Amino acid sequence: MRRTTLAGLIPLLLLLATGEASAHAFLDHAEPRVGNTVATAPREVTLWFTQKLEPAFSTITVTNSAGQRVDTGKARVSGSQMTVSLRSGGAGTYHVTWRVLSVDAHTTDGSFSFQVSK
Amino acid sequence: MNWLGAAVDGPLVVIRAIHFAATAILTGTLIFRAVVAEAASASARPAAIVVGTQTLRVAWTSLAISAASGMIWLLLVAASMSGLSFGESMTSDVLSTVVNETQFGRVSEIRLVLAVIIAGCLAYVRFPLARGLALATSLGLTAALAWTGHAGSTAGEMGILHLTADTLHLLAAAIWLGGLVSLVLLLSVSRRDQTPAVVSFARDATQRFSVMGIAVVVVVFATGIINAWILVGSWHALIVTGYGRLLILKVVLFAAMLLIAAANRFWLTPRLALPSGSEPQYEAVHRLERNSMIEIALALLIFAIVGMLGTLHPAIHFL
Repeated sequence: MRRTTLAGLIPLLLLLATGEASAHAFLDHAEPRVGNTVATAPREVTLWFTQKLEPAFSTITVTNSAGQRVDTGKARVSGSQMTVSLRSGGAGTYHVTWRVLSVDAHTTDGSFSFQVSK
Repeated sequence: MNWLGAAVDGPLVVIRAIHFAATAILTGTLIFRAVVAEAASASARPAAIVVGTQTLRVAWTSLAISAASGMIWLLLVAASMSGLSFGESMTSDVLSTVVNETQFGRVSEIRLVLAVIIAGCLAYVRFPLARGLALATSLGLTAALAWTGHAGSTAGEMGILHLTADTLHLLAAAIWLGGLVSLVLLLSVSRRDQTPAVVSFARDATQRFSVMGIAVVVVVFATGIINAWILVGSWHALIVTGYGRLLILKVVLFAAMLLIAAANRFWLTPRLALPSGSEPQYEAVHRLERNSMIEIALALLIFAIVGMLGTLHPAIHFL
């Protein structure tokens, strides 16, 4: 009976084994908002994720339009929210790159940008 | 490796499956010893002692496998968290950060302490207090797994619901799998020793297990739906994601286990009441034993899937 049960599963496996899911969507939203333009350079960037984060293995890097790092380093994590303070970096496009570890031990990364008008 | 459209981390999946199965067998065996075997043993002392010795051996073996696989699991997770290769990540720096500063590491530490307590209790298993403590601690060892997985990282009030559901799901699954292993040992003893006292012991134990089994199935089913609702969220996600497809396979295997359990409960268990030593009754014991082994095989397949599911991003994150 075990053999027939297993044999019965094979067509099911073949039926199921198609396609591949992609596109991770872990970043819920951010402030400044992804792709938006803000009037003045923000003092900090905050990212909200879909799961709780591990501070020890979660980082944010922010660079200004000249490619210089403007984040102050250590990000503050509170539950599923992560904040990093910024130095003044002038106007232009800011890039935010994140790599986070959720509490269930999954690592994800991503990046986005926003504009500072002056 | 790619399976059902899901990228699979081989070593991590295998070690998780082994760890979950060993931990479940440990907890389920201790519950079986307490609730089923000991309660039903008055009528057949010698057979009960044989079953007691065998289930104790299963408990020791599964505890050893659980502890060893748990430690390897921690090392694999540490490597994955650090983003380094396995060799590079095995530094005291990385390990102490993982153990002291992450939820997974802290929970692993607590669970290792629980495993040591269980070992101490099993060594003094002749004392009722040690038996009770071993059982309670092993429930903790299994329940704590919820904090290592997806349920442990769900934010907010939903997180409390998810942890509660996952804890109950793990405990019920453990009672089922570990109970089946013990039941097979008990049935095999009673098949070899056909005296009326032993057969009635097997019948009592099987009936008690089957009552517990109904409760367990209800809990597994209800909490499984809550977990799926949180982690998958829609029929569409269930069908199009690797996570969802694996979950469908898991439910199919669960349904197969249910069918066998129903046959055992409504067809074979009543036959144990037939005159002892009669051919139909012997046949019923034999079939029950074989069916339970098939159920164990299906349960182990489910644990292999659980090994995979926990390493994947839940379906709800893809849509």
